[in-house]
Order: sequence, then C-alpha cells, then structure tokens
Amino acid sequence: MSTYAKSLTSAHKAFLADLFPGDDLILSPEGMAAFSTDASLERAMPWAVVRPDGREQIEELLRWAHAERMPVYARARGTGRVGNAVPVFGGVVVSMLKMDSVLAVDENDFVAVTQPGVITSDLQAACAAKGLYYPPDPASVKISSIGGNVSTCAGGLKAVKYGVTRDWVLGLEAVLPGGRVLQCGGRSHKDVVGLDLVRLFVGANGKLGLLTEIIVKLIPMPETSASVLVGFGDLHSSLAGANAVFQAGVLPAACEFMDKVTLQAVRQGGETIPLADSAEAALLFKVDGTEEGVAAEVRQIVKALEPLKPVSVETGRGDEEEAIWTIRRGISPAAFRIKPNKVAEDISVPRSKVAEAVDSAHEIGRKHGLTVLCFGHLGDGNIHVNIMHDAAISSEVEAAHKAKDEVFRLAVALGGTISGEHGTGLTKASFVSEQLSQEEIDTMVSIKQVFDPHSIMNPGKGW
Amino acid sequence: MCGKCISVCPLINATNREELGPRAKADLCRLLEDDESLLAGEDVAKLAGLCLGCHRCKSVCSQGVDVPGLVATLRAAHPDFKGWLWKTWLTNAKQLWSASSTAAKLIPKQFQPEKLGPFLKMLAGLKGGPGLEPFLTAETFSDTYRGEKMLLFAGCTATHVQGRWLMTALRLLDGLGVEVLPGKFQCCGGGLKSAGFADEAGQLAQENIDVWREAGRPKIVTFCESCLSGLSGYEAFLDDLKEIELWKNSLTPLSNLLQNTSFMVSDNVPENIGYHRPCHVDEVDSDYVFLKNALGEHLTVATEKECCGFGGVMRLGAPGLADEVNLQCWDALSGADMVVSGCSACVAQLSSTHPEGRQVGHWLELIL
Repeated sequence: MSTYAKSLTSAHKAFLADLFPGDDLILSPEGMAAFSTDASLERAMPWAVVRPDGREQIEELLRWAHAERMPVYARARGTGRVGNAVPVFGGVVVSMLKMDSVLAVDENDFVAVTQPGVITSDLQAACAAKGLYYPPDPASVKISSIGGNVSTCAGGLKAVKYGVTRDWVLGLEAVLPGGRVLQCGGRSHKDVVGLDLVRLFVGANGKLGLLTEIIVKLIPMPETSASVLVGFGDLHSSLAGANAVFQAGVLPAACEFMDKVTLQAVRQGGETIPLADSAEAALLFKVDGTEEGVAAEVRQIVKALEPLKPVSVETGRGDEEEAIWTIRRGISPAAFRIKPNKVAEDISVPRSKVAEAVDSAHEIGRKHGLTVLCFGHLGDGNIHVNIMHDAAISSEVEAAHKAKDEVFRLAVALGGTISGEHGTGLTKASFVSEQLSQEEIDTMVSIKQVFDPHSIMNPGKGW
Repeated sequence: MCGKCISVCPLINATNREELGPRAKADLCRLLEDDESLLAGEDVAKLAGLCLGCHRCKSVCSQGVDVPGLVATLRAAHPDFKGWLWKTWLTNAKQLWSASSTAAKLIPKQFQPEKLGPFLKMLAGLKGGPGLEPFLTAETFSDTYRGEKMLLFAGCTATHVQGRWLMTALRLLDGLGVEVLPGKFQCCGGGLKSAGFADEAGQLAQENIDVWREAGRPKIVTFCESCLSGLSGYEAFLDDLKEIELWKNSLTPLSNLLQNTSFMVSDNVPENIGYHRPCHVDEVDSDYVFLKNALGEHLTVATEKECCGFGGVMRLGAPGLADEVNLQCWDALSGADMVVSGCSACVAQLSSTHPEGRQVGHWLELIL
C-alpha cells in the first residue's frame, strides 16, 4: 500500500503555480467544487486542479507527482457514471479540456490523430467533412471527450456492428508517472509486434498514465442508413425477434430494445411515437451501408420478424428516421416521470441470456417494491437496468441499493459482467472481486505496478 | 449532473474552464443550500456574475434545471453596483439610449472604470443611424394571415433607438394584410429578471399580459429573440394552464409569418452574408429558415453554438471572459462581409465589436 501525500504543502503549491500560471491552477474551494464530482454524483474535493495545454507540462507534473506520492486524477468532461473522475484521495485533478485539437484527419491512411480533450462528436464531424467515419457512439457522444472515451472504452448503440472504442484505437501517446513518455501503436492498421500496450490503455480509466495523443482508425462514411421500429405484444416475442433478425443473416448497426415500463414512461411524455399503443415491448434497428444494401436489409428484417406477429412496423429514412429515434432519446428524461431518482446500471450478459436477465431484473424490482426499467443494446446483450426510486425516502434508497446488488449478482451468475460500458470506479468497486478472480486481480495489480509503481494514478477505484 | 450542459455553454467553449460552466454553478447552488451563511460571500457574488444568461444549458437539461434562473436568484440575493447599473440601463432605456448619439455619455462618471470600457462601447453601438443598405424587396406576400388581428411587440431597442426596424416590421405586416392592434407594451423584463430584479420584471410581465388580454389574446409578433425569450417566461403571471398555452401559442416571430412571402434580391447584395444565431433561439430557427430562403447562396456562413458574448451583467463583471466568447463568435463568422441577426442584444454586441470592414445589423435592415 502506497503512502500518499497527506495534503498540499506550500512547496507543492509553489511548484504547481509555477508550472500552471494564472487560471490554469485552481486552489479555491468554490473553483474546485466543479471537479469534485461527476455524473455519478459521488463527491470528494481535490487539493488542486490544473489545466495543462501540452505534453511537456504533463511530463513535469507526473515527474513531481511520482516523487511526492501525489494522487493524480485525470478528468475530461465528467460525464462518467461511476465516479472514475472523483478524486477520493484528494490530490491533483488534471483537466484535459485545453488539449482539444484534432491534429490530423488523413484520408489516405484512414486515421485521425487527436488530443484527448476533443468532444467525440466534434472529432466525428471533422472526419465526416472528409467523407470518413469514426463509428463508436456512446450516448454521451456529443458531450464526452475522446480521451474519456478511450480511458473508459466507451461503447454505444452501434457496438453490435462496429465494436467499441477499443476496436478503433491504433496508437497513443501517454505520459507515465515519473514523467516518462510512452508512444505505442501508430498509423498502421495491423501490428502484431510485441504485447498490445495500446489496448492496455483503452479502458484503464486513467490508472496507468495520462493520455496526450490518440490515433484512431477510420472507415469510409456509409452512404445511407435506415431504421425500423417494431412493436411487439410481449417482451419475449421482441427478444425472439432480435434473434430471428441475426439468424436471417442481418448484422444491424444498432439493435435496441425497450420493455413495457420504458414504453409507458416515454408515452406519458405526450410525444407522438410511431409505435402501436398495444406494443408492450419494442425493437429499434438501424442499418447502414449502400442504398441497395440498406433497402435489402430492411426487407430482410421485416420478413424475418413476420412469424413473430409484430403489432406495428415503422420504417424511416431521413427525417422520418430521426423521428423514429425520438423514442430512444426520450427514455432518459422519461424515466424521471416514474420516480425522481434512479440507480442506473449497465449489466451485460451473453445474448442467449438476455430474456432471463430482463425477467429476473423485473422480479428483483417487484420484490423490493420498486419499478425497474430495462432497455438498451440488445445486440450486445448490454442491458441498461434503471431502478427508479425517491431519494427523499430512505427506505426506497435502501431498497434500490439492495436491488442493485442483486442485479449485479444476477449478471455474474448468468456468465455476464456487472458493467458493459460504465466501468466500476467508485460505485461498483466493491463488486469487482465477485466478478474477477484473485488471479486476474493480482495480474492486473502487477501490470499497473510496472507503469505506476507508487499507485498515484486514479487511486481508490475499482478495476 | 450528466454534463450535457457543459458542451453547449459558450463560456466553457471559449475558455475550457469547467468551473465557469452551468453544472458547476448548479452544483455550487446545491452546496450553498446546505449552508446559507456562505451566501454572503464575495465568491458567490462573483460566481453570480459569471453567466452569459444564454439559456442554452436549460434547453438541453434532461431534468429541466434552470441554471440562469438559479444565477438570477443569487444575483437577487446579492445586489451590487453592477446589478444596479444594469437595472439603470434597462429601466431608463429611453433616456440612456438617446437616438442622437452615444448612450455611453449618459452613464454616471463613477461607473466608468477602465474594465467597463467594452461594455460602454457596446452601449455606444446602440444608436440609431443609417444602418445597412437594404437589398431585399418583398415581391408577393403570403395570404395566410390576411385580415388577422395581431399585436406587435417591438422591444426596447426598436422602440427607443432603431425606429427603422419598427417601421420595416409594420410595413411587412401591412403587406401580409395583418391588422396591427394598438397596444402599449412595456419592456419584456428578460434582462431585468436575469440580473436579479425579479419583482421589477414581474411588474412588467403583468402589464404586458394585461395588454394582450385587453386586445382579446391575439398573436403577438416579435422580431427580437431576447424579447421572445423574455415573453416566454411569463408562466407565473398567467391564470392557469389553459392561458399559459394560449400565451405561448400567441408568441410569433415575424420571420415565421414571412415564410411563404417571396423576396427579390437587388444587385447591391454583398457576396458573403453571415447569420448569427442568437442563443435564445429554440430548436427551430425561423429567422435562419427565412433568411436562407430569401438570400439563397448569398448566405454563406452561420453560427451554431457560438454566443456573441453580450452576457448582460457578466459583461460588467468579467468583460475579459465575455470578450473571449465574442472572439470565438467572430472567428466562426469569418469570411462574411455583412452579419445579420434577429436579436437586439446580439446586434448591439456584434456592432460594437466587429472587425474592420464588416457590417452588422438586424435582418430587418436588409428589407426595403
């Protein structure tokens, strides 16, 4: 166990003030408060916040932090849901927002080189301007940064076809504790020389070093897309429907599902959604590619679903496609019509176990007297389980947390994971050992020690 | 706390300083609820000043958190000279905005420290004058609204300074066959409300609602997005949900009425015209749709998420930060010989900050 610095001494402050002049160092409580929390609502105050605008400053910072045993917490836009950006041991929060340039979009190499603070949708827009496509699209794509996406291995709607962030990172540059600079991978789309250090950093949650540059793979922008919203009379028909589509040989870009309670919540919002009133579950497919390919895949999907007797089928292109996706985008605000607070978990199970997972999650909710919404990325078996409650009623908070524990155990028992996207951070840290074996954890600890011998990088979090 | 607001905040986009953003302010307000004694602190007053009041954060929040509203409440709790000056400016518009020349001269000398320079320059920008050289002529007016009775909410700037905006608006309504009802509206109160003067703003709201009721609750035509936003925030002063709906439905941008009216473009049209989208615009920007239809290929550049940096009280409290926001806006408008907008505050701010050789005005000035 490392012995960390206990506070920021005047010498520490002088060092930071020299390295980060003016507004780029924050020491006042009201200024630092913004950096004490993230979308998880967990909170801990840092001792200082710094804003580097280049690698050299970060090298100096980590040389100092390594020597001083100073906890270091990387932060981009604080959209993470599990508290990975929360500085539980105090220390220094490093805000990466100033490193926000797209350095290159190369239409010959099919790569983009970017700094970590770029908003992912801005990176996508820069690529799209050259007819290129960076597919990973976490729900936060317009508000989160590529550095955060890489650090958390962000998933998203289109992971079923395109994979997650890990599948798109070709290379990166990171500064390690002690100030060493590690450059690994590159612009080559294939590389089998040595251990895959690039992938080690993707999803490492800032526990190995600070990312300063990222190289991602690009593909040509799909010509067009279409979406199909299908209503079913019951949950099991919808899950069988997803299976039928895959069995028919279609790999959709997205395959989302929504359960009865989710649909009820969205309908209460009064928005017109192109779905039959009798639908108690829905599937939302997106396909992309060439005009001909998309048209054929839409036909295949509709045909594959016929035997399951869907209660409504709505196909959309262009503006109509946007209208279809209103239902999916409406879920998050709609959930709060049920109860003012939610425990939002994102378990992932093998695709064949989704029906059992959803049924059991609902049963767990019933047992604890709480409403549970299930929706999400059916194609990956990644289910968002929202346990709705009122935080002002202590018995409901207690019940919600008990339900959460049971949902985690359910996921592991089904051969799945406690988190397909959000990570473990603070909120799920205590459950990591129920999923990972001691051997796995010991190996991870050993690997981390190579990069960060004093464990100053994002300490106090789960794996 | 999801962070959606961070990506739309012009202040963060210009500075990359998360502590200046909406989530930080909402979070601080929550922390302060636990300890009211902190409310007296100088730091809170400082925080209260650092919001442009653009409402972009409010419009994207899944949980409907109104950060500009929270900031206005803080400002109300901590009036200081900046707020006083703002109030003075707004409540004495007619005296300050003398159509003859610079309004800045009318600000009392003790309120002219160096850092207020840019703000005073903006005041100076708010003067009458020849404006842009028009090049759009209405050819065929739409018949959709012919014979309908409507009220015209001209707003402070058009009423007191830019009389030509008002005259053009009246001419267009006449062409559409709209019967403009008499009605003596007051200021919308939006600026006062965000500066922390809720009581004064409420009084104005009440008077404006009475004008509407007396006229038989007709459509109210506006041509300033700030005014429209101010008027949209009157829920608390209306009788019930039914009247709130009637009120909201009555608020009609002038550009919306002009969607099916065709315009002819004269030869003196500049090659590159820019459009600045005001922060207060909702998802559908009827000014942009109208201008794109009327100007076609001449409209070559438009802002999307950049704020002009007007910023109300913030302009007084932290002019340097507002300038950074403004610079980013001009950067997005580079290439435009002429920039138009549909908000009096944006037009004032851009008029007083435009780079050499650019012209700025309300889009009404383009119409003969």
